This record gives sequence, C-alpha cells and structure tokens, in this order.
Amino acid sequence: MAVSGSSLSTAHVLRRLWHFAWSYRRQCLAVLGMQVALLLLGMAGLSLGGLAIDVVRSSLDPRAPAPPWPYGWTPPAPASPMLMVIILGALALTAAGLRALFNFHYAVGVNRLVQGEIVPELRARVYAKMQRLSFRFFDANASGALLNRTTSDVQAVRSFVDGVLIQSLIMLLSLGLYLGYMLQHNVPLTLACLATTPLLVVATMLFSRRVQPAYAVNRAQMDDLVLRMSESIQGMAVVRGFAAEEILEADLNRRNRKVRDGQQQIFRQISLFSPTIGLLTHVNIVVLVAYGGTLVIRHALSLGDLVVFAGLLQQFSTQITNMATVTGTLQESLIGARRVFEVLDSPVEIESPPDPRPLPASEMTGAVRFESVSFAYGHGRRAAVEGIELDVRPGTCVALLGAAGAGKSTLLSLIPRFHDPTNGTVRIDGVDLRELEVDELRRQIGMVFQDSFLFSHTVAANIAFGQPDAPREVIERAARVAGADTFVRALPLGYDTVLGELGANLSGGQRQRLALARALLREPRILLLDDPTAAVDAETARDIWEALATTMRGRTTFVATHAPALLQQADLILVLEAGRIVERGTYAELLAHHGGRMAALLGEGTDAAGAAGDSDGHPEAPSRAAGSGGII
Amino acid sequence: MKAQAQAQGDDGARGDGMVKDRITAGHAIVHMPIRVEGSGPTQRPLDRRLVQRLFAFTVPYARKRNILSLLVAARAIQLPLIGWATAAVISGPIARHDQWGLVAGVVALAALVVSTALVFRYRIRLALELGESVLHDMRAACYRHVLAQPMSFFQGTQTGRLISRITSDLEAVRVGVQDVVFVSSVQLGGMIIAAALMLYYDWVLFLVVAVMVPTLGLLVRHFQSRMVRAYRALQESFSRVTATVAESIAGIRVTQAFARTAVNAELFATLTADHGEYNMRATRSSAVLLPLLELNGQLFLSVALVVGGYQALRGHIQLDAMVQFFFLANFFFSPIPILGNQYNQALTAMAGAERVFALLDTHLPPVDAPGANNIPPIQGRVTLRNVSFAYDPARPVLHDIDLTAEPGQTVALVGPTGSGKSTILSLIAKVHLPTAGEIRIDDIDLRAITGTSLRRQMGNVLQSNFLFTGTVIDNVRLTRPEASDAEVTEAARLLGVLDVIERLPQGWLTQVGERGSALSAGQRQIVCFTRAMLANPRLLMLDEATSAVDRLTERRLQRALAKLLRGRTSFVVAHRLSTIEHADLVLVIEGGRIVERGTHAQLMAHDGAYRRLHGKLAVGA
Repeated sequence: MAVSGSSLSTAHVLRRLWHFAWSYRRQCLAVLGMQVALLLLGMAGLSLGGLAIDVVRSSLDPRAPAPPWPYGWTPPAPASPMLMVIILGALALTAAGLRALFNFHYAVGVNRLVQGEIVPELRARVYAKMQRLSFRFFDANASGALLNRTTSDVQAVRSFVDGVLIQSLIMLLSLGLYLGYMLQHNVPLTLACLATTPLLVVATMLFSRRVQPAYAVNRAQMDDLVLRMSESIQGMAVVRGFAAEEILEADLNRRNRKVRDGQQQIFRQISLFSPTIGLLTHVNIVVLVAYGGTLVIRHALSLGDLVVFAGLLQQFSTQITNMATVTGTLQESLIGARRVFEVLDSPVEIESPPDPRPLPASEMTGAVRFESVSFAYGHGRRAAVEGIELDVRPGTCVALLGAAGAGKSTLLSLIPRFHDPTNGTVRIDGVDLRELEVDELRRQIGMVFQDSFLFSHTVAANIAFGQPDAPREVIERAARVAGADTFVRALPLGYDTVLGELGANLSGGQRQRLALARALLREPRILLLDDPTAAVDAETARDIWEALATTMRGRTTFVATHAPALLQQADLILVLEAGRIVERGTYAELLAHHGGRMAALLGEGTDAAGAAGDSDGHPEAPSRAAGSGGII
Repeated sequence: MKAQAQAQGDDGARGDGMVKDRITAGHAIVHMPIRVEGSGPTQRPLDRRLVQRLFAFTVPYARKRNILSLLVAARAIQLPLIGWATAAVISGPIARHDQWGLVAGVVALAALVVSTALVFRYRIRLALELGESVLHDMRAACYRHVLAQPMSFFQGTQTGRLISRITSDLEAVRVGVQDVVFVSSVQLGGMIIAAALMLYYDWVLFLVVAVMVPTLGLLVRHFQSRMVRAYRALQESFSRVTATVAESIAGIRVTQAFARTAVNAELFATLTADHGEYNMRATRSSAVLLPLLELNGQLFLSVALVVGGYQALRGHIQLDAMVQFFFLANFFFSPIPILGNQYNQALTAMAGAERVFALLDTHLPPVDAPGANNIPPIQGRVTLRNVSFAYDPARPVLHDIDLTAEPGQTVALVGPTGSGKSTILSLIAKVHLPTAGEIRIDDIDLRAITGTSLRRQMGNVLQSNFLFTGTVIDNVRLTRPEASDAEVTEAARLLGVLDVIERLPQGWLTQVGERGSALSAGQRQIVCFTRAMLANPRLLMLDEATSAVDRLTERRLQRALAKLLRGRTSFVVAHRLSTIEHADLVLVIEGGRIVERGTHAQLMAHDGAYRRLHGKLAVGA
C-alpha cells in the first residue's frame, strides 16, 4: 500500500535501475533487433497491399496513375497485372509468415530474459539477503510486505527492463519508422494527419497522471475492507460475544461504499479518456480521407498509398496510447525498486570475519564468558542489557529470572550472535564470538524458543532442520530424547507426516517437543531455552522439563524460566532487572535472602503457577514465533 | 497498468499484463503440495442458472442496464460502419475523382466518428458503473451472510477461503459483468455486420476467405486450452514460491538459529529458477497463438488481394469491393481472438460466481427460533439443567451439566484441556444450543429469546484476547462506538489500569498492530478487560489467557480482574489460582462432566480431583 519509508531519491533509484538494466544490454539488443525486423515486415506487407490495389486500379482505369513502384523499379513489360497481383500477394504472405516467426521468437526472447533470467536472479538475491538480515529488520516490517518484496516488487523491478526500457525503445523506433515512411511518401499529408498527435500525447499523460494515484488509493481502500473482513472472521467469537454484528456490518458497509465510490471516480476518468483516444484516432482518419482524397483526385498521391497511410495511422495511435502504459509501469517499477533496494542495501549486521578461527566441535567445552557486556537495540535507545559479567563453566545450568523486558531474551540472543554487544565481549572457550564463523558457532548451539515455529514440512524434515542430511536413526534418537517419538509414531504417516496436513495439527506441548528434538539433533554443547513452556499447560510443562533434565546433563544450558521446579535444579540463578543482574546464586541462597528480588518475582511461592494453564477450545491454535523484543 | 488495460475498452484487453510466475519440488524448504487458499476449479462451463442469478443482481440498476444494451447495439453497428464509410469514400468519390462527393463523404464520416465517440463514452461508463454496483452489492451480500452465520460455520471454515470469495472470486465475476457481456456483444455484432457487408460486395470472395474461420476457431481453442493448462501449472508453481517465502519470513529466527541461511538460499534459487522454467513453458504456448492469429488475418488479406484482384481484372467486381475487403476484413478477423479470450474469462467468471453463490447458499440452522423475543434487562441468575451438548452426535462434549449461579456470583471452571469448559460458556452465551436440557437466565428459557439481545448484556473476554487492527481506544469502543472519551477513561480507571494504557507509546491512540501484535500479552489482556468494563455487562464470560506474563504484570491483571468480576455474574475458565480461590463456586470439569463442585476451601478439604489439580497448579510448571 503505502510506499515504504525508503529515503532513496528518484534520480538515485533510476540510476541504479539503469545500471541493473545495463547488465542485460546484450539480450535487450537482440530483442530490439527482432522488433525492428517485425516493424519493417509489417510495413512491407502493408505497402505490398497498397501496391496491389494500384496495380489493379491502373489496369482497370486508364486515367488512373501508374502504380508507384518503389526505388524507381518498373516491372518487365510482359508481366501481366494478374501475375503481378499474385506475386505481390505471395510476397505479402511471406512477409506475414516471417512476422509470425519473429513475433514468436520475440515473445519467447523477452520472456526468457525477464522471467528466465532477471526475475529468478533478483528473487534469489533478495531472498538470500533477507535470510541473513537481523531480526530488527523483520520486526520493523509486516510479514505481508516482506513477502511482496520477493514476489511483486521484484516483478516491478524487472518491468523496468521490459515494460519501460524495451517498450519505450520500441515506441521510438516504430514511431520513427512510420514517420519516415509517411514523410517519404507525402510530407504535407503526414503533417496534416498527425496534427492531432500532440493532443493524443497530452490526453494520455493527463490520464495516467490522474488515474494512477486514484488506483493506488482505491487499492488501499480495498485492502482496508479485506483486512476488516478477515479480522471479523478471525475474531468472530469476540464479535459474537459482544453482539457487535450490527456495528461491524455498518462499518463494513462504510468501507464497501468507499471502495465503490473510489472506483466510480476512476470510471469517470476512463470514460473520458478512452473515447477521446478513439475520437482522436478517428479524426486522423477523417483528415486523411479528406486531405489525402483531395491529393488522389489531384493525382498527387496514389490510391494504394492512401490505404497504406490509413493502416499506418492506426499503428501510430496504438503506439502513442502505449505511452500511458509505459509511464504507469515506470511509476510502479520505481516503487518496487525502492523496496527491493532497501532489502539489498540493509546491512547484514552479523557477519563472519574474513579469516575466522576454527572451532572444532570435538574440542569445544562450552565455557561461556560475558565481559562487561552491554547491548542496546538502537542508537539512543535504553540498553536492553548492561554491565553483564558472567563466567559459566562447561556443563553448568544457568537460569535467568526476571520480569518481561528485563533482558532475559536479549542476554540469550547474544550467545548465538544474533546481535553483537554494543560494549564488551562474549567468549566461548575463551574465543571472542566475533572471531568465529557465524554458522559454525550456531551449529554448536541448540535453541528452543517460547513458541517454536515449525515449517510446513514433514516431522522428520523439521527435526533435521539444522542438518538436512541427518540419517533417520539420528532423527528418531533426538525425538526419543525429547519425548516426541511416541506421538510422532501415532501420526498418520509417522515421521513422514506433513505438519498441518491430514489433520496433523499438533498441540502446543507436542510442538515444543519437536522443537526440542530439533535443537538436540546436532548434540550441541550449549543449549539455550527461552521459556519454552510459556504457552503450554502445567502438566505438559512438567513432562517437558523432565525430558529436559536429562538432556541438560553435560551441556552448558541457559534457560529463561519462572518455573520453581527448574530454578531449583539450576546451578546458578541470575535475577535480571532492567537489563542488569541484580542477584545471583542458587535457589536456596536466593530464597534465604529475605526481601530479595527472586522472592518478589516468584510471589512467595504460593501462586507461582499463574502462567501455566490450558487453552481450552483452541488446542490447535497456530503457533507463531513470538513478537518483537524477544530473542526469538 | 490496470488503468490502461481498462481504458482500452472494446478490445477487452485487461491487465493479465504481467506474465504470472512458475517449479517442481525436489528437496524444498517447505513441503509443496500446499494448495492455494480457496482453490477449486478455475473455470466452469457457462450455466444458465448462474447467469440468471448474476443477472438478478442487475435488477436494481435496470434502467442503466437497458440503456447500456442499446448503446452496445449502437456501437456494434458503428465500428464496422466507420471502416465501411472510409472504404466507400476512398473507392467511391476519391477513385472517381469527385471532389464534391469527397466533401459530402468526409462530412458524413466525421459525423459518424463523433457519434461513435459519444456512444463509446456512455457505453464504457455505464458498463463500469453497473459492474461495480453489482460487485458492491455482492460483496455486501457475502459479508452480511457470513456475519449472520452461527458459530459452527466458522469452526469448519478457513478465513483465507472466505476472503478469497470477496477478492479473487468476485474479481473474476467483475470481469464477467463489466466486460465479457458487453465486449463480446460489440465484437460479435461488429463481426456479423462486417460479414454481411462483405457478402453484399462479393459473396464469392467472402466465402473463399470465410472458410478460414473454422480453422481459426479450432486453432484458438487448441492453443488456448494448452495455455490455460500451462498457466494453471504456473500458478501452482507460484504458490510454492510464495508459500516458501512466507514460511521463511515467519521462521527466520529458527533458520538463523540453526545456521540454515545458506542452505535455504540455495534451495530457493533452484525453486525460483524452476519457476522461471514454468514461465517459459506458459510463454511458449501463448507466444504461438497470437502470431498465428495475426498470420491468419494476413493470409486472408493476401488471398483477398489475389482473388479480388483476379475478379476485378476479369471485370467480375469493381475496385471498390477490393478496397472494402481491405478495410472490413479487420472487423471480421480481429474479434476472433478477442472473443476467444472473452469466452475464457466468462468461464473463469462462472467458476467465481459459482463459489460465491455456494457461500451465499450455505444455510446452517439458525440458533434463534423464528419468533424469539429480545430478553428484558437481566438480573444475572443463570441455571443449567441437564445440559448436554455435541458438535458431532458421535462425540458428545458435555453430559448432564447442572448448575445455578446467583446474581453477582463468580463461577470458576477448572479442568484439563478439551474437557468442555469453554463450551459451557458458549452455551450460556447462546452461541450454540444445547443438544438436550435447558438453560435459563432469570428464569427465561434461552430458546425463547434472541442470542443477540442476550449478548448485548454480556461481556466476553475470550479467544486469546483478540484485537482488531486500529488504536487501543477503537478496540475498547468495539461494542459501544458512541462511548465518550470520559467514559472510556473511567472504565480503565475503575480497573486500575489507566496508567498502563496511558504509558503506551501513543497512549489511547497507540496502534495495536495486526491482531494486536504491537502490544505485549499483558497489555492485550488489559485492553480486553477495559473493553469488557466499558460494556458494563450483567453477565461476564471470561477465558483466562494462558500467555506468559511476568509476575508483576500478573499482579496488575489479577487486581483488574477482581474489579471486573465484582457485582456481575461471571463464568471464568480459570488458570489463575487467585481467580479460583476467590470464586464463589468452583466446578471441576473432566470429560464433559462436572466431577466436583464447591468452594476452594470445601474442595481442598477432601482428597479429590481438585486437590490433585491444585497441587499441580501450585507446584507450577
């Protein structure tokens, strides 16, 4: 809808588009070459027809002028008019056949260039870039808008090549050729016939300038109606519950009327424009018949040429009206290009150093060290974590406790290097994370998020997400450890069941177990758990924690949680407040510390269960990755 | 792009402009046979029943429609007439060197041209307006119908599917209503008139070339059906691309956490290159058709030249017949591909119309009995007697539920997932009717009254705190759009959450984002509580959210909830111990039955289901 907040100037965008198109110049030229051939053949066909009419006319009517053979050529004397007509007809047909051939190759050529080269290349680039961008980028943009960047926005960019550049060159070429041909035959007639052309140009420009924005507005109005409608359906229980149907219907009616009225506005423009174009084209014909006719009567022009002129005029006005399309496409490609360039220009915040230090899995111990680490999500924004000093020995279980926004997730996100600290250093086995290859680092870390995202793929593919070539035994072993094996086997196709299909909708607890299996598949040295039982009921949560207890053994584990059961098991509890560690110690130590922050957060133990519960009636609510701010 | 396409008018060329994108799934990021939402057959044969129903939607605009028919007829005559007149002037006065005849001819031609433009202006305007009016009415019919459906309708339906009824399906119908009928009438009419004129000038010559028409028609059909198949495959491939991108965006955190970016980028590059292949395949079939059609037109002209030339030279016909053929041929041949295209669009429109009407024909039994009255202002006494319920007779959800809640009491329902707690709430709200037994509110049987009038006096905090896109205050005012700012603020103040709302980035005017995504779970609950508070209902149905909120927020929510419940009869699907402990009556539901009832203290006194459950809640996750 709205143009994204890109600050690139139009001139800059145009320059980049031009550079982009320049890299395809060879293919563009080939395509244009075919267009030239097409134009020439078309004109040849037309003039052959005109010539044939003149041949017939001159043999029927002795007063008629001799046919205007081109290039001063005259037929040999014995050629009968009939033979000449047949030859001309055959030539015209050959021209038509060639045209058909060229037309086919032109269409295929343009498409090979555009859909076969430009679009896939650009899409792959945008997608690859998007995969590497930081989460900040994703938090700042609606998912629908991001989707459009790889689909319709890319199409808009490529339309700069075929819809703007190639089209305008074709337009210029054909106008030049038509004009040249007509001027060569009769200058005054050409000028007279094209006298209205400037009007045609003005009308076209005016129309596209008025209608383009109107369409944009109308599209936004329609999106608005659709959004409201889809939310009403999704929130039907709320609408029903408050008996708000009538209120909603009135609201939908208002939006629906807006869409209609917006359309009617556009129609008024169209119903002025289209007939005007039609009229101007026809006026050209009338002028041609009047003036050209007079010329024929005065023997200044052949009848066949008049017919050819009529044909050319038709083509001419088609090309002129094409201008409206080209300007519209240009505007769309500029909007699309801004959005695409914005993705391509976004800095990849986290990159591997050019010469990374190796991190052999076998030698890694899993010691994690934070040295005066601070991190803020943006310049001038409050630090999300501040002054973190932490030295975790291999195999330790660290629990993070704190209110929402205290910095637990942020702290976790620094370990797999989702962000780099603003100040300070995070080290694994004594090595600064920034010296390691990012992917290699992340492969040593297993992560489970609050609300884990699973892909619409088979159970096996989801578990093997971090190692697509993992053998089936490894996948099943991970599932067993995570306590997922039993329910997976009960699915219609077991490990080959595609999630979301055939009623294979999993409960929150089952999804989390799959997420845990996914995290365990590579036998990571470090395990990060961001409140993974936040969205499941108490009973399931307990089962999950039991499964976890065994898997945590021997791994360095960081877990954000409120569950006292787990806090008791932790070797170290860190209580976070506004990004700082305000208390640290074991459960027993912190509990003994009266008036401490842990005690306050846990609410003296008795009502420590609030967060758990079930979601009666919506056991299959689709899971989504948690919203902004969280690690994940 | 759309603009210009529409502007072209009678050739019916519309913005299928951008060639839609095209893959085979090998190893992929997502498993691919994901169907496009609401897909079904993309085309359907013409069906008189459907056409009549569509036609019925034009009845309110009968005058417009009738004028339009006249204009269409006029235009069908005018277009070939211009060709004819041009040819007549050229082969007549001009060829005869008759200056005055030329003047008269030009004047007549000019008059014809101007009248054509005028007719065109109104023909196009009326057609577009009529189409949009019909579409507006159909959209309204769709959402009105959907809004009136009982809740059971929504349980079996995906939102995307319903939405595609008012978007893509109605868009197909729009093309049918705005274009197909009128464009094909104009084109067909023009074709017939051009044929008649050519027959008049030289029937032999016309018949020689008219033989080509069936060949042409067959060619068009053959290639078009190939094209349709290729484009359908292309669409499917494109939906693979979109589904992959959509999931990649949603799962970006997982992808990066598991170091899959490079693998995914490679898979996607293969996918999109493959899509390009589908695109090429579709282009190859469409790129054959158009040149072939053009070739046919040219072939016709060449044959006309040779045959006409032969006849003219033999003196069988005049030169004017030849010139006429030169001009009129275009009016005879160019409609063929246009009609083919229009026919295709008509089939697409039929499929769209069929799905839209199928939606409008879905009539689930209404919850309210015919003649049900509005319920008078209620006190809040709620009685359920032997209530049973099943969505599906084979799988009963509730059995013999008996309970009474006195005005102002809080009833907490606890029990495992799927035990039927939410269903009890929806029965009291008359969202569903019990299969057996009766529910009374203030001794009025719910079957005797309308659900809407009941729910107007009822507050609901359900469905994981659903918010609509818009501002916080819009959401609070959902049920009382007329409430003043002071009333809204007062509601929040009474709940003790005014400071929370005012501390939001733009306070009351903060945008909540799509489905409330810009707010935290706790903030969403607070907005929903305020919404219920503003409605100030006698009865409150509340499904405590399970979302994780931290303890401090939790405290605020508990206090707000206590204030919200005060003085109203409330039914709470409870997850919070504090809510349960303060309830006047706790019902333990298991397998659709009430297995225990009493206050927290009473239930804790003996070793039963509640104590076990409570133990679990207290120990915590």
